[in-house]
Amino acid sequence: MSDVRQPAADPQPPPIEGAKVESPNSVVEYSERLLLAERTDSEINQAVLQPMIQTGRGFWILVSILGAIVAWGVYAWGYLVYWGIGVSGKNRPVYWTLFITTFVFWIGISHAGTMISAVLRLLKADWRRPITRGAEAMTAFALMMAGLYPLIHLGRVWKFYWMIPYPNNRFMWPNFQSPLMWDLVAISTYLIGSTLYLYLALIPDMAMARDHTGSWRYILYRALALGWRGTEGEWQKLHRALSIFSVAIIPIFLSVHSIVSWDFAVTIQPRWHSTIFAPYFVVGAIYSGLSALASILVLVRKGMRLQEFLRAEHFDSLGKLVLVAGLFWTYFWFAGFLVEWYGNEPVTRELIHEEVAGRLAPLFYLQMGANLIPLGLLIFKKVRTRPGMLLATTLLVNVGMYTERLLIVIGSLQRNHIPFNWGTYRPTWVEISIVAMTFAGFALLYTLFSRIVPYVPVWEIKEGRLRYTMRRIGRLLVPTAAEIE
Amino acid sequence: MIDTITWMGLFNESTQVAAAIDELHTLGIPEDKMEVMTGVPYPEGALGRHREWLSLPYIVLAGAGAGFLFGLFLSAITPHLYRLDVGGHPPVGLPPAAVITFVFTMMATIVSTFLGVLWEMNFPHFGPTPYHKLVTDGFLVLLLEFPAALEAEVRRILEAHRVHHLGEPERMPL
Repeated sequence: MSDVRQPAADPQPPPIEGAKVESPNSVVEYSERLLLAERTDSEINQAVLQPMIQTGRGFWILVSILGAIVAWGVYAWGYLVYWGIGVSGKNRPVYWTLFITTFVFWIGISHAGTMISAVLRLLKADWRRPITRGAEAMTAFALMMAGLYPLIHLGRVWKFYWMIPYPNNRFMWPNFQSPLMWDLVAISTYLIGSTLYLYLALIPDMAMARDHTGSWRYILYRALALGWRGTEGEWQKLHRALSIFSVAIIPIFLSVHSIVSWDFAVTIQPRWHSTIFAPYFVVGAIYSGLSALASILVLVRKGMRLQEFLRAEHFDSLGKLVLVAGLFWTYFWFAGFLVEWYGNEPVTRELIHEEVAGRLAPLFYLQMGANLIPLGLLIFKKVRTRPGMLLATTLLVNVGMYTERLLIVIGSLQRNHIPFNWGTYRPTWVEISIVAMTFAGFALLYTLFSRIVPYVPVWEIKEGRLRYTMRRIGRLLVPTAAEIE
Repeated sequence: MIDTITWMGLFNESTQVAAAIDELHTLGIPEDKMEVMTGVPYPEGALGRHREWLSLPYIVLAGAGAGFLFGLFLSAITPHLYRLDVGGHPPVGLPPAAVITFVFTMMATIVSTFLGVLWEMNFPHFGPTPYHKLVTDGFLVLLLEFPAALEAEVRRILEAHRVHHLGEPERMPL
């Protein structure tokens, strides 16, 4: 039984002239843009709350499968802790393996969420409104998964507290000159910042959910709404705080992936010791993160029947951003590759040969194909606006980006300046299980989040609706926007 | 004898609220005796009210300053507390110190923004407060306190601007 409370019968809002009267449960196809649709605020609330509350059998099957994979991964992690890091495929010289590869991948995925929300908020881009919360949640959960890897990679996870900045009894502090410490601090900052940013924008919608639900949901939403009433002062302060957050979080998200890249670039390992690594990593992260966001939005739209909110115009804009990020990634990749190829340094030459015509060639061509083919496809509006095609294209991008990280981390480590120390690497079942755990864990957290928290930022949608009106220009009736922010 | 009356009125239209507030000002009801609640952020000044002064930017600056000093302490002072000379590097290198100082400055900026805005909004506040659940269904709520002698005039103004549901506010736990 649904525990959504219907709005009070008295007083009723006066009917809007020409408004469509529909059941809140039905999906209404509007020919006009959502922001102009003649839905009452109450109907919008119901349209967002209903899919959260009505969970079908498919939802529970999905949660069970994801939960089982996570449980298996936890067992594998326990096995690793008990028997030691030797049960992974780590060796000399490949001391960073699937764990660090996947760590870099998750950090990359986390990038687009904040970017799409903060940058587009600052630019006052209206198409951001229905997708910001999903994007911010993606950042928070991807960072949580990324944050597990330093712990897993340590092996002796109980020694983690050595990295916390406090002195031991000899007044020895952690070494803040080390990029590994920068990692810890930067990821913690980004995780705290992204979570607070997500939560702050969520408060008005928690109040909306509080006013329309009962039972345990009411208790939860009431606690999270913090007593929000929607007074003018509260709105003004919230807007100011979100503006400050938007400005402050942009350099943070740039710094995080730069710092991750410096983990590699400050070493003298061939193919890592490059000044272009930081911007190359940042652009790659944006490319993979935007693609992941597009994939997730397509899946959530289908799963939660949010077709009314997540529309072709949003996918079109997102697809264009993916395309631009992909072109930048190609440019940076080529700029780095060209200089290394031209330098002809012996170990680098060996590594490039391994990639282009050696053992790593299948991965190299998979990387190039999966990253470049989508650029050709995304030029077409049909690909950007049809959810199925966009999903396939953006999933392909992330296959390519994961492969790219495999080549950077594992591929490069197999060759170094000491030829008798060259080696190879094969992942073990423990590593594969733990990597699968984080993918399933991300999906599980995201799935549960979408059923507990209003996935679409209702107040932002309503605010956007305030901005628009129709104006006749010649024979056309076109939407015009007012400056209200 | 009742000296003051507190009323809550629900409106459909923002223009009606703004017009009613203007007339109530003219009647002599001061700014701080009126409060508007909405489910949507209206532009500042749209409802005829003055902009509030915020101390949030100063809280954020103070937080950023504290984060900067803490980052500087970790990156530039702690290496001297137990000095380890490694490979010809100075104990404190400027580029690594810049990274740590920057990240701690930003962390403190973010945290102080969050705590600052909660402090400014007086959150959390779960106690009984005048509120109406139809705020989140699109109604605009005007909460006002005025001398009992003005009751008839206030009623006339609000009804002239098509108020719904005029009466004493319900104080509900939020």
